[in-house]
Amino acid sequence: MVATVGEMEAPGEPPLPAGVPKSQIQGRSPWYLAWLRLRRNKVALFCAGVFVLIVLFCLAAPLWAEHVAHTGPNENHITEKVLIDGQPTNVVGPDGTPIGPGLHGQYLLGADQNGRDVMVRLMYGGRTSIYIGLAAAAVTTVLSVIVALLAGYYRGWIDSVLSRIMDVIWAFPVLLLGIALGTALAVGGLKIGPLAIAGDSIWIPIMIIGFVYVPYMARPIRGEILALREKEFIEAAVAQGKGPLRIMFSELLPNIISTIIVFFTLNIANNMLLESALSFLGAGVRPPNASWGTMIADGYEMIYTAPHLTIVPGLMIIATVLSLNVFGDGLRDALDPRAKIRLEH
Amino acid sequence: MNTLRKALAIVCITPLAAFGVAACGGNKGGGGGGGGGGDINVALTSFPDYVDPQLSYTVEGWEVLWNVYTPLLTYKHAKGKEGTQVVPALAEKMPDISPDGKTYKLKLRPNMKYSDGTPIKASDFTYGIQRLFKADSGGSVFYKVIVGAADYADGKANTITGIKTDDNTGDITIELTEPNGTFENVLGLMFAAPVPPTTPLDKDATNTPPPSSGPFMISKVEAPRTMTLERNPNFKTVKDAGATDVADANVDKITITENKNNSAQVTDIEQNKVDFMVDPPASDRLQEVKTRYGNRFRMEDSINTYYFFMNTQKPPFNDLKVRQAINYAVDPEALNRIFGGRMHPTQQILPPGMPGYSEYKLYPGPDMNKAKQLIAEANPADRDITVWTDDEPDRKRIGEYYHDLLTQLGFNATLKVIAGDVYWTTIGNQSTPDVDTGFADWFQDFPHPDDFFRPLLNGKNILPTNGNNYSRVDIPANNAKQDELLTKLIGDGGVEEQYAALDKAYMEQAVWAPYGNEQYTTFLSERMDFDTSYHHLLFNQDYTSFKIK
Repeated sequence: MVATVGEMEAPGEPPLPAGVPKSQIQGRSPWYLAWLRLRRNKVALFCAGVFVLIVLFCLAAPLWAEHVAHTGPNENHITEKVLIDGQPTNVVGPDGTPIGPGLHGQYLLGADQNGRDVMVRLMYGGRTSIYIGLAAAAVTTVLSVIVALLAGYYRGWIDSVLSRIMDVIWAFPVLLLGIALGTALAVGGLKIGPLAIAGDSIWIPIMIIGFVYVPYMARPIRGEILALREKEFIEAAVAQGKGPLRIMFSELLPNIISTIIVFFTLNIANNMLLESALSFLGAGVRPPNASWGTMIADGYEMIYTAPHLTIVPGLMIIATVLSLNVFGDGLRDALDPRAKIRLEH
Repeated sequence: MNTLRKALAIVCITPLAAFGVAACGGNKGGGGGGGGGGDINVALTSFPDYVDPQLSYTVEGWEVLWNVYTPLLTYKHAKGKEGTQVVPALAEKMPDISPDGKTYKLKLRPNMKYSDGTPIKASDFTYGIQRLFKADSGGSVFYKVIVGAADYADGKANTITGIKTDDNTGDITIELTEPNGTFENVLGLMFAAPVPPTTPLDKDATNTPPPSSGPFMISKVEAPRTMTLERNPNFKTVKDAGATDVADANVDKITITENKNNSAQVTDIEQNKVDFMVDPPASDRLQEVKTRYGNRFRMEDSINTYYFFMNTQKPPFNDLKVRQAINYAVDPEALNRIFGGRMHPTQQILPPGMPGYSEYKLYPGPDMNKAKQLIAEANPADRDITVWTDDEPDRKRIGEYYHDLLTQLGFNATLKVIAGDVYWTTIGNQSTPDVDTGFADWFQDFPHPDDFFRPLLNGKNILPTNGNNYSRVDIPANNAKQDELLTKLIGDGGVEEQYAALDKAYMEQAVWAPYGNEQYTTFLSERMDFDTSYHHLLFNQDYTSFKIK
């Protein structure tokens, strides 16, 4: 027996509310269906909420710096004193020991050895880390989609050349490649035609991180494009006389958008981890600018006497990466329930 | 379920990965031995700039190489001022100096061999001096006073005419262009150590260092990670030739490893995994080490000056008012706290303990208002500056402090932090762009004030590579004064006072922003004999004094 449209239900699709005729399913967009599925995943939504809170916390950095801490993220106060419980207290003692955390507006999380407010640096550092994570994910996405569309649509020698280039990049461990590029570009910066980036610019780690993850995203998308390329609707588009660019961007791209969104979300988390590792190793964000990675590196030098300098930014990284990963998983399940079936079986 | 599994995995893996990365700086040590002999481990934060006697010009390099390459003369292996005394080493005795002070005659001891068995010849001394000029060594400045050295350096001559040697008799005669009050001192530096002619003349020999003429030889180098010193099997030939003032080794093998994490070095010594750390403990560990390990830790006097250099030949630091403003703004007490209280504040070039030192202060402060006023008066058009420092923890913090200071003064400062083992060669290279200002220090090469002026502030020593005149200072009157004073002995009446005046003359031009003189430390593992080990005033720790209990 052949089932009618109204009787079919995609696996994993939420049941219709009581009293709603089945025929109404035809009026729902895939995005709405995805939202319905995502709404059922409370853990993913909770993690999305955590990420939003972290972003808001970081966005509030200027407010905290100006109205509570009264200092910027890079301002040194080595020989200054603050009033703690009415007592003037050295921000950094004569033996070099900085003030610890406590319930006071200024230096809530203590100071580092340069007398800088750790709370302020944590908030500004978060802005840097999240900004790098987002921007690098955008770079990866744009480059990967271009590579995947060209390789998957044209196939043949273009696919071979692009795939081999991807293989070469893939052959290097991400961290090693990131360190090599970060160290090389730190002194002279990056100059490709009209694109010129100074060695100390935040765009150096963004470009590096964005670049090293391209094969990890481009290859699976290329696979999808190769499969879609054989579908009838592409043949129909070709028969209608549509050009390659139009087919790529108006036929193929919309069909892989859910994959791109999922990859983008998961990439942010990966990028933040890589940024932290690169900054810890001195090949990422340049001092004195704060990122969670540079804060761990700075704090690590004092891990025996002031472990909170390392632990607090470390916890922030864990919370952010965890929330993004769980949310990304939920998003994938919502956008492509069949992918979930494939993974689970 | 999938989500929860992933969440759990990330929670577990992320901290493990973080600690995994953090553990990268760890160091393994140990080693047996006992009594006379044994193997020990040494940790340092920055690897020597070169493992080459003619090229190395850093504290780390000299500390290691002092007991590997022996010059004709050397410095006494002794604590305190006694260690600044020049004594015969490969030469039979101190030089015979002509009455006009321009001719030095020495005689090489007979039948000595390098560690590889090659005989040590008088002409090897000439070869070593020639290498200084051909390999663009920063130490060449001390030997330009030799007749014909300038022509040789410029490629106008194939030999240095002022050095004559006889390999059969071991006679060495050195002619100077003018009398030089420091020449015995510079003959005692490793720059002048003989090396066999198989050593590359114009290249760095770090990866295959020349054979040794000292108590230790270098058996392995993996720059910039690790190197190994072992007893020189042919050092006996040097001792048998009568070189009694060159100390012999007490341990068989020293493994030197770079570890960028100073705090991990401290822990390794506490746990007896490493036996000695070249650098002082990080400021946050200093109090703990002082109180808990007082029986194997002590502070040591050291003759040095820490300062910020400023490129006087380029805007904005070619303006005296800008340089004066920096001197008013810098707070030595803030920098002392970064060093954990190991710094004596200063605002002059010569350090305490150096002949000619006379305390003064031209720029009382810190006075940010005065500094800002001077900057307003100077109103420099170019406010984009690059601040340089290296990646050793305290120096990175110094760079961050200085960066913030310059930002407060209205500059658009960019901080450049580079690896400690290439820092000096990078900022000492004229072709490195944007060397505007940054961190610098200087430890005495020999106990003569000329050592703080000639290499660092003499216009003739703005070298293309391996230079030490980072401020690119060239004041003709002061250059001439240095040359004049060099012809006199430090003990001559009024010479010390004239060096003190020269110090002031440079600081009136605010060529540097000096801020402190650092105290060094000795911190040993439990198995080391703390009493025999000592800190030399010129070469820091004397590795021949290391002994296992």
